[in-house]
Amino acid sequence: MIWFSQFGLTEEVIRQVLSDALGRGADDADLYFEHLNSTSVALSDGKVNRASTNVDLGLGVRVVVGDSVGYAYTEELSLASMREAAQVAAEIAAGGQPRTVERIGSRPGPTADRYAVRQPWELVDMATRVDLVRSWERRTFAADPRVKKVETMVADTQKHILIVRPDGRLVHDYQPMTRAFVSVTAEQNGKKESAAANIAQRQGLEFYSEAHVGALVKKAIDDTMILFEAGKPPAGEMTVVLGAGSSGILLHEAIGHGLEADFNRKNISIYADKLGQRIAPRGVTVVDDGTLPFARGSINTDDEANPAEKTVLIEDGILKSYLHDEISSRHYKVKPTGSGRRESFRSPVLPRMRATYMESGPYSPEEVIASVKNGVYCSTFSNGQVQIGAGDFAFYVRHGYLIEDGKLTRPIKDVNIIGNGPKVLETVQMVGNDLQIDIGGWTCGKDGQSVPVSQGMPTVKVEKLSVGGAS
Amino acid sequence: MNADQHDNSRPLLDVATQAHDLARSLGADEVSCSVSRSTEVSLQRRAGKLEQAQRATSLGLSVSLLVGDRFSSHATSDMRPTALRAFLERAVDATRALEPEVERRQADAALCGRGTSEAVLDQVDSTWGALDARQRGALAEELEAAVDALPQRHRLVSATVGVGDSSSESVRVMTNGFVGEHRGTGFGMSVEMTLEEPGGRRPESYSYYGANHRADVPVPTHLAMEAWARAEQRLASGPIASGRYPMLLENHAAGRILGVLGGPISGGEIHQGRSCLAGRKGEAIGNSKFSLYDDPTIPRGLGSRPWDGDALRARPMPIVEAGVLQNFYLSLYYGRKLGMEPTTGGRSNWVVPRGSRSRATILAGIPKCIVVTGFLGGNGNGLTGDFSYGIQGVLYEGGVATANLSEMNLSGNVLEIFHQFAEAADDTYVYSSVRSPSLLFDGVQFSGV
Repeated sequence: MIWFSQFGLTEEVIRQVLSDALGRGADDADLYFEHLNSTSVALSDGKVNRASTNVDLGLGVRVVVGDSVGYAYTEELSLASMREAAQVAAEIAAGGQPRTVERIGSRPGPTADRYAVRQPWELVDMATRVDLVRSWERRTFAADPRVKKVETMVADTQKHILIVRPDGRLVHDYQPMTRAFVSVTAEQNGKKESAAANIAQRQGLEFYSEAHVGALVKKAIDDTMILFEAGKPPAGEMTVVLGAGSSGILLHEAIGHGLEADFNRKNISIYADKLGQRIAPRGVTVVDDGTLPFARGSINTDDEANPAEKTVLIEDGILKSYLHDEISSRHYKVKPTGSGRRESFRSPVLPRMRATYMESGPYSPEEVIASVKNGVYCSTFSNGQVQIGAGDFAFYVRHGYLIEDGKLTRPIKDVNIIGNGPKVLETVQMVGNDLQIDIGGWTCGKDGQSVPVSQGMPTVKVEKLSVGGAS
Repeated sequence: MNADQHDNSRPLLDVATQAHDLARSLGADEVSCSVSRSTEVSLQRRAGKLEQAQRATSLGLSVSLLVGDRFSSHATSDMRPTALRAFLERAVDATRALEPEVERRQADAALCGRGTSEAVLDQVDSTWGALDARQRGALAEELEAAVDALPQRHRLVSATVGVGDSSSESVRVMTNGFVGEHRGTGFGMSVEMTLEEPGGRRPESYSYYGANHRADVPVPTHLAMEAWARAEQRLASGPIASGRYPMLLENHAAGRILGVLGGPISGGEIHQGRSCLAGRKGEAIGNSKFSLYDDPTIPRGLGSRPWDGDALRARPMPIVEAGVLQNFYLSLYYGRKLGMEPTTGGRSNWVVPRGSRSRATILAGIPKCIVVTGFLGGNGNGLTGDFSYGIQGVLYEGGVATANLSEMNLSGNVLEIFHQFAEAADDTYVYSSVRSPSLLFDGVQFSGV
């Protein structure tokens, strides 16, 4: 509340706007105030030659009647503009007895503190940012003589949100984020290859420790140089081993989206009638977790003022829960899972993932690889997509290796892998003991809204997927 | 009104001019300031009732600055006068910390301006302002009624229909003397469907149309029937054997494959050494049947524009003509960096010339052909030219659909795929900035089982 008082917000103003939102007999409503400042500084062609800043300020008003939603927003926090937005959103309601607004702040909201910042970006000057991207560039060039071009970038966001509910909840959260990017173009024997790496967390300047920067530069270099040796795998169905870490993208696409409760409430997900059923072999446990310290996908509060939690989606192969916002939790008569998220004040809340990962299993990664006669091992990914109803999903492998007679052999690159979520889950054959949460800057898109997410995976063997190679 | 609130009644040109002049007075040598305002309304209906109603009016300001040949760009939605001043002060200060590059200087004013008149571009539907909540609601109901009227509805699990419209205006003021104002309206309708089939799969499909003018959006029945036909193509789908097949790429999906050219012909990628087409201007990158044009001047074109990102007059240019690469996308900055004549920084409308035969006639003459109707995931590598995409589609044998396809990938290379181009059909799709007919390619690599 204190943060937003600089824009003239008082308890009385908020109460008036919320009363307008509920003025036509809605079941529920929320006000979502947002103030965001972001800065990015980039180096290319040997020069720190680009910077950008962005300021976003506004209020989103959502009015809920059953499972119908009225939504409006304003970028101007004058009383007149905010009341107009509330009245527009309230038009979804047919007209009836206005719901009472409890005293603002009379009920506690989530109080977690998962991303306390030691060196806030507000106090970091441009010169420091310039030094950062310059030092990463120098370090990247120094790491390998084949490096010919380097691009580096550092970005940070400081987002303050204030959520107000008619039941008296008033929750403020400060959501920092920083992301670093290093891109390499290298040349070897007249041939060029290029790759990029990025890392992101909810932290201040302290995120750029020697360990994190070293890992970022090493990944950008390694992911580039491996491409000189890599070729296309054969095309067709084969056994796939997913390396630990970023291969959590498979869970995100194949399972995570299908378990977002809005799709199930509407009966359009392939998992719509499978709660309580076995959908994966024993030993497969998948969670979506908003509580990991500093993780890109972590949140202290979701955007409906509910606490984020660690939600067990699949436990030992049995489908246990969907990811809920309040609308779906009312439909299913369960507690919200703290998964109601939105891109900004311009968009209504949807059930979304936070950090999705599979818990570790019993096998060493070496055992998993050794069990495969012919297959592919996937180590670096870029993007994925799913069809919620059919369950078909795809993810793009930047590079990996062929597995021949239980050993990693030739590197492979640039293949799309496609499969069907429920079929793949059924054929998870081995789960490694090496869960890693990836710290890449993953962003999830749904209904035109982007939100930051994390993902993770132990080494996992899947019986077969279709690999887009060459015949 | 509070003295520190933005006055919404002020013309955008005043707001942009004042911000431009303020940034100059704070120390910026060159400023490009844009202010835009838009209004969007959308409705969604499902299961006989309104599911979501959304209304948004947005106002934002963005500036690009050159301070001692140092470049930066900034955007804000906080338009309060004191906030705007502080924002610009911080922006100018931040820019001083960067390194100079003369290539960022603004264009010669003589090159800037409107390439095509507002009347010819015809991007404003004068009836937009007359549309009210009741009419929007009635249109959404009409769309839902068209879905309800479909046969065999028992397989339909869910259908969501949407209608939306928007109006936007923007003003740009630059230190080189350029002043431009641009307006547009938009109308869209969508139908999303999910069917159920034995075994629990629920294949989904959609039909969406957007246009500047309301009269250009097809009637509700068309959307309902198209979404249904596409959903039926997803039933009982699966992969077939891996191998090389002729591919007929449906017109509305052509952008994905044409798009593999986008990275390699962009100045930024060429400059960073990440393009497989760098240095190939004037060379054959496809066979003589293949041509692709960039045309920002098409009336009501969804990618049409009066000027580009540098405010240079928008004009048509060939990208590939009879197989030969004719032009790269070179903004002023990348043109200067690369020592080449700037063209334009980014794509407007892409146009592939139509052929003379119908899709059905083409398919009838091919023993086995994969018709690609959509994509799932995938990506490419602009430096090597390799790409790989998941597909959905239909297998046609002698012009007859024999199997619905899913869980398959197609793979190729930018330097090869346009040599595999065989023929364009006569069915240009105009509801996209990629205006392409269906395209036939020979011997495309598909992976399935």
